[in-house]
Amino acid sequence: MLEPIKENWRILLLVVVVIGSSVALFGPGFGPEPAPGESASEAQQGITNLQYGLDLAGGTRVRAPLSGYTATDVALDGDTPGAVAEAVAAELDNASTRDVGVVPEERAVEVTELSVTESQFRAAMDAAGYEYADVRSGVTQQTRDETMSVIQGKINEAGLSGGSVQQIQSITGEYFILVEVPGQGRQEVIDLLEERGTVRIDVAYPDGNGTAVQDGALIQDDFEEIGTAAQSDRGTGAYVPVTVRNTAADGSQSPAHAFQDAVAQRGFADAYQTQADRCGYNPETGAIEAVNGDRNPCLLLVVDGEVVNSFGMDPGLADSMAAGSWADTGNFRLTTGEFTEAQTISLNLRAGALPADLDISGEGTSSSISASQGENFRTYSLVIGVLSVFAVAGMVFLRYREPRVALPMIVTALAEVYALLGFAALLGYPLELAVIAGFIAVVGTGVDDLVIIADQVMSEGDVNSRTVFDSRFRQAFWVIGAAAATTIIAMSPLMVLSLGDLSGFAIFTVLGVLIGVLITRPAYGDILRRLLTVR
Amino acid sequence: MVAIEVPEVNYTDYSNRQLAAVPLAFLVLALAIIGGWVVATGAPANLGLEFTGGVELRVADDTNGDVQQQIQTAFDREPDSVRTIPGDDVVVVTFQAAQDDPEGLANDLQDQADAAGLTTTAVDQVSPSFASDTARTALFGVALAFLGMSVLVFALFRTFVPSLAVVASAFSDLVIPVAAMNLLGIQMTLGTIAALLMIIGYSVDSDILLNDSVLRRTGEFYESVSRAMRTGVTMTLTSIAAMIVMAVVASVFGIGLLRDIGIILAVGLCADLMNTYLMNVSLLRWYKFEGVAR
Repeated sequence: MLEPIKENWRILLLVVVVIGSSVALFGPGFGPEPAPGESASEAQQGITNLQYGLDLAGGTRVRAPLSGYTATDVALDGDTPGAVAEAVAAELDNASTRDVGVVPEERAVEVTELSVTESQFRAAMDAAGYEYADVRSGVTQQTRDETMSVIQGKINEAGLSGGSVQQIQSITGEYFILVEVPGQGRQEVIDLLEERGTVRIDVAYPDGNGTAVQDGALIQDDFEEIGTAAQSDRGTGAYVPVTVRNTAADGSQSPAHAFQDAVAQRGFADAYQTQADRCGYNPETGAIEAVNGDRNPCLLLVVDGEVVNSFGMDPGLADSMAAGSWADTGNFRLTTGEFTEAQTISLNLRAGALPADLDISGEGTSSSISASQGENFRTYSLVIGVLSVFAVAGMVFLRYREPRVALPMIVTALAEVYALLGFAALLGYPLELAVIAGFIAVVGTGVDDLVIIADQVMSEGDVNSRTVFDSRFRQAFWVIGAAAATTIIAMSPLMVLSLGDLSGFAIFTVLGVLIGVLITRPAYGDILRRLLTVR
Repeated sequence: MVAIEVPEVNYTDYSNRQLAAVPLAFLVLALAIIGGWVVATGAPANLGLEFTGGVELRVADDTNGDVQQQIQTAFDREPDSVRTIPGDDVVVVTFQAAQDDPEGLANDLQDQADAAGLTTTAVDQVSPSFASDTARTALFGVALAFLGMSVLVFALFRTFVPSLAVVASAFSDLVIPVAAMNLLGIQMTLGTIAALLMIIGYSVDSDILLNDSVLRRTGEFYESVSRAMRTGVTMTLTSIAAMIVMAVVASVFGIGLLRDIGIILAVGLCADLMNTYLMNVSLLRWYKFEGVAR
């Protein structure tokens, strides 16, 4: 009973792999991740679970570094990040505190304002009295991570399914942000990346029985600094620390003073006496509802004209505003119940403003393919693949003229490609033109190796025993193993170097060689043995 | 039906010098061409968009009028090349990066195309500094792959001359396609880099087969060579057939990446046939009959 299984386990393994690939290709549950609001069948492209990359589905890819300069190994002398940023910004005519980032963990100071040159930044660092090891172009790790999450947020918000953001490092150590958005044109994607949503803070207050709103009590430009979301130190909740600019050109009122006046005028100090006094703003009706019997004024966070959150005010803060002392510092905290909510608010306040700009035209690349062009490419590459297989099959038939050698050879090579497609579906790796080239390369190397096996096994007359077959097969396998190893070595630099689409080519060539050496070629050996062994 | 019969070469008729002369002549010629290119253009090959920077637009040929004509008038800048893709009603317009790379060049060009009533189906933009970075990375990648392959080959055979034969033949297999690209006017792109790396992997196969047959199997030298040749030539011809089909079909459909990979691999594999069965055989014969004895 077990004997046939033991005898033919290599063939059985190939059959199992082929069945597994079929499941991955056609079975439910292996399809692309559906975007929010999209059903699993809608997310599927065509009848298989295969996903297509930009080349084959249409879309835009933008790869660009973040512009800015970073001073490394800065001796911060124990100063707070805020103080350092202020000191450095003060030495730069064309940058404000918002444009200077300080990351104590990385001992780095960065400037993200486009117009600041490297020499200006060096001069400012010197003038501010902070010693540093060097200035490199680019920004800190923290800023890169933040930028990525902002971009990801924008992509999600715009409802673009399949969009992705990655960080890649080039050979010279420079970091690039790689954004891929399927189904969108170049201009749309760049607009999305560069768009700054409008964010403002309105004051809503009870007006008789109704609710009145004072628009734009604070607008985006009024913020000197927007902190990252932090967990509240007392009790639950989270907050975003912000600083409102309290300086203004001569004669006009600073945003902090104006805001302070507005808050005082709307009676926040009277309304918020204890922590129990809450804001009762109902975003659906736009009306302030009574909380504990009082209808308190509220601050509204408005993003792109839509109220995304409402806050009350800490009694202490309301008092200091009423007393007119708050504007001296301009600090306050936007508090929320949930940490994630605070994160969203922090992102919103930056309002699409990326922490650092993507330098697309200067040092980046972008490519974009329309959906119809992508679809054409998909058909064409299928045609190319099929014709290449025919070419290989034709050559093999011409050479051997013996179907029992040639036919299994072609079937095995096709099984190899099929297994690779299954892998691609399983991994959710998007197929690109480069990957298709990899597939064709795999058919080429695959058949080469099968030719080696067939020639070797049949070279010295009839195979009249299993031992003879096995010894010849082993000899053939040494060559195949060596050849596979060189291919893998040759391709491995491409897998890791950031050379665009080519990593897909390399990954699938190597994967194909591995599947070939470990699964399909041994199976072909078994098939050939059964067909050739003279009993 | 036609059948492929791998011819039996009577190696005994030729001396080692005679055998090696042809591939060496090709290698020298190829190196001379590449050297000439460096002197004339400053680069070893015609660098494509990815390595020089610039913008490539794909314009749909959906009008019945003369698209070529329209393209000539549509843009403020003179396109560096305009290619029509026969199978796909598309015209590819390339602009090399200007010295004073203006901001948002791709946008301007796309706008100009739109204004002229042309439909752009794809836009590629590469900035010059990114491009030079890519060129460095690509060169580094090819060098690394070649080095890795050499080390592996020496580790596999552990004899100097036969290993050297494999490495030398692989080197020549790389150089000849690059020279051929220059002569055929094919640009060096990321696709061709991939193809060059693939050659390192592919071409070594037949060399390994030959070395294995001569060094590790029993049998007389010429018998071993002809045995390896029967298999090796079949292998290489099969691959060449696949690559030629890929190159031809891909150029009809205007898929540059696949076309480039196909052409380069086909040329490289042809070079490999020559290098393996002329240069390697002569080196191995010298090693077998004279080198070992010394």
